[in-house]
Amino acid sequence: MATESLRRTGLLIRHNALLRLRDPGQMISYIVMPMLLMVVFKPLYMKSLDTGTLQAVTGPLVMFSVFALAIVGNSIMVEREWRTWDRLRASRAARAELLLGKTVPALVILVLQQTVLLCFGCLVIGMAVPVDAGLLLLAIAIWGVTLLSLGAALATLVRSRGDLGMVTDLGAMLVSAIGGALVPVSLMPQWARDIAPCSPGYWAMSMLHAAIADDAGAMLRPALVCLAIALAGGAVATYRLARGWGRSHLL
Amino acid sequence: MTISPTAAAGARRATQAPPEPERDHVPDAFGPAVLEVRGLHKRYGDVRALDGFELTVRAGEIVGLVGHNGAGKTTFVEVVSGLIRQDSGTATVSGREPARARELIGISPQHIALYPPVTVREHLRLFGGLSGLRKARLGEEVGELAAALRLTEFLDRPVGVLSGGQQRRAQAAVALIHRPKLLLLDEPTAGADPETRQALLDTVRQRASEGAAVVYTTHYLTELTELQATIAVARRGRVIARGTSAELLEGLPGEVRVSFDDDSHVRVSTTDPTAALARLLAEATRPVSNVDVRNPDLDDLYRALAVTDGD
Repeated sequence: MATESLRRTGLLIRHNALLRLRDPGQMISYIVMPMLLMVVFKPLYMKSLDTGTLQAVTGPLVMFSVFALAIVGNSIMVEREWRTWDRLRASRAARAELLLGKTVPALVILVLQQTVLLCFGCLVIGMAVPVDAGLLLLAIAIWGVTLLSLGAALATLVRSRGDLGMVTDLGAMLVSAIGGALVPVSLMPQWARDIAPCSPGYWAMSMLHAAIADDAGAMLRPALVCLAIALAGGAVATYRLARGWGRSHLL
Repeated sequence: MTISPTAAAGARRATQAPPEPERDHVPDAFGPAVLEVRGLHKRYGDVRALDGFELTVRAGEIVGLVGHNGAGKTTFVEVVSGLIRQDSGTATVSGREPARARELIGISPQHIALYPPVTVREHLRLFGGLSGLRKARLGEEVGELAAALRLTEFLDRPVGVLSGGQQRRAQAAVALIHRPKLLLLDEPTAGADPETRQALLDTVRQRASEGAAVVYTTHYLTELTELQATIAVARRGRVIARGTSAELLEGLPGEVRVSFDDDSHVRVSTTDPTAALARLLAEATRPVSNVDVRNPDLDDLYRALAVTDGD
């Protein structure tokens, strides 16, 4: 049974990866645009901060990884548009298999996006090469899971792709601005500093900075906060998906 | 044509399903029961979507499920396919709860439910694979089904670029790929061209002859005659009539039309067309130019049952 389950999960992962690969526009956009921003903003950050290159790389990375929520959300929304979710639910695949099949390719995309941007940051922008690649990969994975859960929850709560686009665009700007991805928290006015921890972006920035600095201790708290957000988002998405979200009328 | 409400009510009484009647109407030629639905109830707020729905479909049997929108067909299929749970009553597929018998069920929804960027072959591999088919067998099934549904030349094209009829056939292929014991086909020929319609009907007949139990919903009632389907009429969440078309049509009026040379005509709605024709011809005082006798068909049944139920 376990083998059959693994086989079905593999089929679903391959199928969802295929769907993403046949519609790569958003993914390319969310990788290329932050690269451009890194190049443009680098001189500004270098003049105003001691950690200029770090901010120049992690700021756009966090901002555009939040934009990438739209990729996750769209991958779920299309199932409703195409009326295919019920078709999958009516198949032999279990709920967990369907969710894994849907989320694994999206997580890979999110991790890939951040990895490419960090590599670009080190090679082109001049950010210091992280001491512990494993720790950084862990941070990227945790932030990826957080985004994945938030994107999945959003997709099951909004009514249309238009709504999803609005929420992810506004959300990305808000999360980035408040979280210190655009302007470092230390340069923000006091009121903005006070509310910064309300943004997942704040914790993502803290976690990435700690991971790049090879400070596992400093990484623990933001990682736990991100995982808690992921848990909450995942619970909402799982509940909605399992309870018949996206039901199309079979008859 | 007119249908007397009295005659229609008589027809309905003659075919109306008592608590567990439909087995009596099913010819013995069919195999053991595959789908057994007993006393299904399902409410959505104040709406009774299912109100004592009963249906048995046996191996090899094609049941034409007809009924207006809101008759309960959607909810019935959602329960049988394991997508929702009923409030009360039982539904079993080969003795198992639908949610535990998914590999036995094939569904072709009314609306196209396919991935536009994915090819027909990839669809069949995905859903066949999910049902447990392995490479060699899957390849054979894909080839055989593609030939039967005239999809061979479209197998490697994305569904999104196919015509409506080709998509209909691809949709049916996905339902059929794992050779399910129970096929739920919702208006599979809706808007389809003659080629698609014929290919689908032939394939459904073939699968039934191999032992599949089929629930086939359609508004093209002539298709049910072509499929030699037994018929279940759903209304307000329950099956109100069930039987073979001969049983259901018994007692319904047909029509006799006698046309005369002077372009006038006489039209009579009657349960005994032969006697009516003889009487009309005997009473004719002008030269007769044409005689047309039409026996009752499923459209008449559909309308008659709707009339008696207050539509």
